[in-house]
Amino acid sequence: MISLRRLTLALAVVGLAGCQLPPQDSTQVGFRGVMIGQTSSPETMAALQAANVAPAALPPAATDASRADSIYQNVQVLGHLSNAEFLRTMTAITNWVAPTTGPEAGCNYCHNAQNLASDEKYQKVVSRQMLRMTQEINGEWTGHVAQTGVTCYTCHRGGPVPPGTWYYTDVNQPLRHYLDRDDIRVQSQMPLRTEVSNRSSVNQAEYAYALMINMSSGLGVNCTFCHNSRAFTNWDQSPPQRLTALRGLRMVRSLNMNHMVALQDVWPAARHAADHLTDEGTLEPWHVNAEVSRGPMGDGAKLQCQTCHQGLNKPLYAAAMAQAYPGLYPYVPPPVSEATADTAAAIE
Amino acid sequence: MAMLSFESKYRVRGGTLVGGDLFDFWVGPFYVGFFGVTTLFFALTGTLLIIWGAAMGEGLNGQSWNLWQISIAPPDLSVGLGLAPLDQGGLWQVITVCAAGAFISWMLRQVEISRKLGMGLHVPFAYGVAVSAYLTLVVVRPILLGAWGHGFPYGILSHLDWVSNVGYQYLHFHYNPAHMIAITFFFACCLALAMHGSLILSVTNPKKGEPVKTSEHENAFFRDTLGYSIGAIGIHRLGLWLALLAVIFSNVCILLSGPFWTKGWPEWWSWWLNLPIWS
Repeated sequence: MISLRRLTLALAVVGLAGCQLPPQDSTQVGFRGVMIGQTSSPETMAALQAANVAPAALPPAATDASRADSIYQNVQVLGHLSNAEFLRTMTAITNWVAPTTGPEAGCNYCHNAQNLASDEKYQKVVSRQMLRMTQEINGEWTGHVAQTGVTCYTCHRGGPVPPGTWYYTDVNQPLRHYLDRDDIRVQSQMPLRTEVSNRSSVNQAEYAYALMINMSSGLGVNCTFCHNSRAFTNWDQSPPQRLTALRGLRMVRSLNMNHMVALQDVWPAARHAADHLTDEGTLEPWHVNAEVSRGPMGDGAKLQCQTCHQGLNKPLYAAAMAQAYPGLYPYVPPPVSEATADTAAAIE
Repeated sequence: MAMLSFESKYRVRGGTLVGGDLFDFWVGPFYVGFFGVTTLFFALTGTLLIIWGAAMGEGLNGQSWNLWQISIAPPDLSVGLGLAPLDQGGLWQVITVCAAGAFISWMLRQVEISRKLGMGLHVPFAYGVAVSAYLTLVVVRPILLGAWGHGFPYGILSHLDWVSNVGYQYLHFHYNPAHMIAITFFFACCLALAMHGSLILSVTNPKKGEPVKTSEHENAFFRDTLGYSIGAIGIHRLGLWLALLAVIFSNVCILLSGPFWTKGWPEWWSWWLNLPIWS
């Protein structure tokens, strides 16, 4: 009997340990009584708020007519910036990605201190690709990131390896369908299985469900954030966030295929923890995730919703960090005035 | 109104909870009592208010006399635990008072009748568990969550949509442990009823020319099949508790969802994955 009592007690403790006591915060979207909305505990919200603070922007750069690519060699992406803005952007990136002091942190995380122009460090090659990606996100994917945009910090959070990436684990991994399926088309549009067009398998339905759960946990929201569950596929009844999410899915797929997979062979195959141990034998704090620069199947890191969102439906509570750095937006050359164009034509 | 020959024998005065002898009378076969009057009042008022609400078209889909679509929705969450204007959820609040009043009155009327007959209070108790399910959904849980808007709308389809969305607010409601237990009791209740019903039908429908069988046959049958027969009274006690526990654990499962657990239910099972046995 005593053991039974102990078991009951243990079960009660287990049950209560997970409990969040009322009151909770809840939000309502749409008509009353439909129950589309979020319920969250104030403790969880406070923890998220503490973990998602955007760093302040660096002071604006002095006005400067020079161009970085006329001063430095091998500036492929940010050459159009003025010298002052270029150095400011480099400083910001260092703060966002490799800020900690140490032989391999700061500028030296990407650069050979003897020759800053050299591409010998793979980190520099990766950074360049990531800058192109950031510019593409802020310039071409405003349907998803709106005017808020993203910076390196949105994902990196002060470390060289962002905490929210993923790798292939096996052929049945649901997240692979970010890459090799167009869109989710598993739910039938008609009652019963009368249509022949829907040939989705149970596996595909499960992948879709896993992807949805992945989005849900990445954004810290429940299914009703994007869906009215009475008709999951119906756009007319869905909250508008669903459209933003669809654009986000397509963005992630495009970024993974055009930028992340492109880096697959740049990352060293065996960059592992042993290279980055401190004297105490623990990982240097900025290399906590360094042992996983390639996944178990040899692929490079890939993006998912979690990578930027990190538990919030708006990353960093939509702090407008990017707008302070023109280098994070695609370069649009200033319009050539007619007079200049005429002169150019005359010279030709 | 015709009365069964033995019925007058049970028509005894007294046993009322309130009102003394004032409402202690019958209309035809129906006992009235103070709570019969309040039941009638609340039920009639509530029903008429629903019809009025349908005429106003205050639900999501606008005015409709389509029985499936009529819906009386609770107030916005922003109203909190305050009173809402009639056409913005106030009607739902008044109807909720009427429904709760009618259900509780009916239960107390059952108490009065039980007292008259000198019975135990099993009937009002069992009925009260059903009432508790309603009160949990539209009174207790909304109060714990701080807004009447957490109650379900009064409509045939709209309350089903509410159930669906509330379930998906916790990602996958089948992972709710209390929901699992409640479903298990519902299924066990169905199984017990099927076994008992089939047993009774088979003993009362013997072969032509044979007498109806007795409880000896019933017991023998289940001892032969299962090794145990719970008995004629036992099966009814078992059936009652299976049914009541199904409802009681349903109350627990929805009361946990929101006030005591805001995340997805699959995530709650992390403690299982984290058990020191295999983690």
